[in-house]
Amino acid sequence: MEHKVEENGGTLVIAFSGDIDLQSSPDARKALLALVGKGAPILVDLSGVGYIDSSGVASLVECLQSSKKSGQQFLLVSVSEGALRVLQLARLDRVFKICATLDEGIAAVS
Amino acid sequence: MTAETISGEVLSGGAALGVASPSVHDHLELLAEMGRDFASNQDLDVTLKNAVQRITEYVDAEAGALFMLSPCGLKLLCNACVGPVEITGLELAADQGIVGFCVQNDDGKIVRDVADDPNFNAAVDSEAGFKTRSILCAPMSVKGERIGAIELINKRGGDGLFDNNDLYLLQALSSSAGLAVLNARMSLQLVEQERVKRELELAAEIQRSLLPPASEASFPVSGVNVPARIVSGDFYDFYPLDDGRIAFTLGDVSGKGMNAALLMAKTASLLRCLGKAIKEPGRLLTLVNTEICETATRGMFVTLVQGIYDPENGHVRLANAGHEPPLVVAPDGSFTAIEAEAPPLGIAPSLLDEDGFPETEFNLNGGRLFVFTDGVTEGYVESGEEFGIDGLKDLICSAGDGGTALVLNAVRARIGETGAPLRDDVTIVAVDDTLRANIGAPQGKAAKAAEAGATGTQGEKLMQLRVSARANRLRLIRNTVKETATFCGFVGSDVGDIVLAVDEACQNVIRHAYGSEGEGDISIELRHRVDAMIILIRDFADPVDISRIKPRDLDDVRPGGLGTHLISEVMDEVDFLPPPIDGGNLLRLVKKIKGTASDGT
Repeated sequence: MEHKVEENGGTLVIAFSGDIDLQSSPDARKALLALVGKGAPILVDLSGVGYIDSSGVASLVECLQSSKKSGQQFLLVSVSEGALRVLQLARLDRVFKICATLDEGIAAVS
Repeated sequence: MTAETISGEVLSGGAALGVASPSVHDHLELLAEMGRDFASNQDLDVTLKNAVQRITEYVDAEAGALFMLSPCGLKLLCNACVGPVEITGLELAADQGIVGFCVQNDDGKIVRDVADDPNFNAAVDSEAGFKTRSILCAPMSVKGERIGAIELINKRGGDGLFDNNDLYLLQALSSSAGLAVLNARMSLQLVEQERVKRELELAAEIQRSLLPPASEASFPVSGVNVPARIVSGDFYDFYPLDDGRIAFTLGDVSGKGMNAALLMAKTASLLRCLGKAIKEPGRLLTLVNTEICETATRGMFVTLVQGIYDPENGHVRLANAGHEPPLVVAPDGSFTAIEAEAPPLGIAPSLLDEDGFPETEFNLNGGRLFVFTDGVTEGYVESGEEFGIDGLKDLICSAGDGGTALVLNAVRARIGETGAPLRDDVTIVAVDDTLRANIGAPQGKAAKAAEAGATGTQGEKLMQLRVSARANRLRLIRNTVKETATFCGFVGSDVGDIVLAVDEACQNVIRHAYGSEGEGDISIELRHRVDAMIILIRDFADPVDISRIKPRDLDDVRPGGLGTHLISEVMDEVDFLPPPIDGGNLLRLVKKIKGTASDGT
């Protein structure tokens, strides 16, 4: 798994690629939490994530809760089919704010 | 020589003097009576008591006692006595007193007057208030084997002292009594030997009942067992399975005695019972190995071949636990040996992983398979040489393509022809694929059989992997599961769902079953049933409390605990099976294939 953080239109965009599983989710969690407290909305781009497991989903949930506390918006954008399926199975597709594309996400928070 | 001159002297046995002829007649009569008594009475102690009684009366003594040397030769025990003082049970050191002197020197002794003899033990007298004046003692021995001695005290009447005639008489009677005791002992031993032999014959009868009945000529599996002794450490078995295949077993327990026979009985019973349910030779041997390791006597082991033959297509799968390599004889007469790839049963319980003992699979293609014990190859033949593996091969060749029964009979005859006792049990099992009608189309048949395997409730095993329980192995597991699910016919999100469920189940093992990463292994078995994919996930950790594992409440959105929910969400069946025999946890996941007959949705 790899990740890349960019500032885009006043938001923090973190894009993951590869599998977020038990092995890589601690890194994903750390990268996500590093953005909490920076004020700008967080957009998590999951287009390159072929596989996400419960530990990866848990990291997303934890970060959602932390960002809420720090008053930051937290969105998932261009979620891959596989990742969306897991979120649906976990009934979390309604907990997270999900936008189809990065642009839609940026538009939604501005 | 007068009584006075020998007073106080010790006289050893010599020429009898002045024995009157009527007493010889009585003497013979007494011996005959004693002989009859010894022959007819089962209780040696009673007989000895009678003998002492008769001898004491005959020699006209006040008291008499019979001492026997203990088996270890260190003690003399009074077995019978007559007279005013009861000393039955009295124990002396083997060289103590006048009795001890006689036994040690294998010679008779007369002490006319005990007052003059340093060997006399006055302890009994002083305790019992009995006055010993004169002692006569003679050993019981046969051909130098010391049995004991008979001692007489105080001659009745006259001066109360024994004389030489009394000594000679007692010596003669003692020898007879000794012979009678020895005969009685030997007959007891004989009775005991007979009893043991009878027991062994009963054991052998039970053993024979453990072997399968002789098979019909049309049945493709047959066997022969000739024990070297009454009981055998070898065994063989074969029986049809409910799917039409035939399971066969041949084993050799280390050693040849009763202990080997008992372990044989146990192993054969376990295999026959479990073999009907567990139709995988490798897994079957693993189970039986664990059981034998737990309970068998240290140092005993069993070499064994367990196989399954399919008479429909000639397919054989077998596992060899340290046994002589079975021989496959192709229709063209060429031989292939199937080497053992695992140690004998009873050596180490956890030497092999749960995949079981390694299996070998091959097709007989109209050939024959011979499984045999080393009693066959190491048996002597007429030339005095060992029959050997080449001998067996020659014999198989010379039998041409005749049935395996011919070969079995020929081997039995060849090894038994010297008439000498067998060195070891001779046991062979033969599988005859020449009887199969449809040779030549094994491939199509085999493919069909594989399909048939998928119709069973457990389906066909497609894949098995065992990896260290670490997070960085999960990707490997996922890829394997993904390809296998696709192979089973799953499409779309089902493939991803199955991958997710297996991944989550493996995570639970990594995170919860084991204390830390890489502490143990995780094993995943992927099976294909016509209507479903079955996944067996096993760990080797302490059993997990199943009641504690339940899906989390989804309204409570917190990290963790989500995995179990995901598994039950995507799989049709999620069950913890009873823990495997050697510990750990076993989880079974079933995912139905959409569109099959048994799919209810």
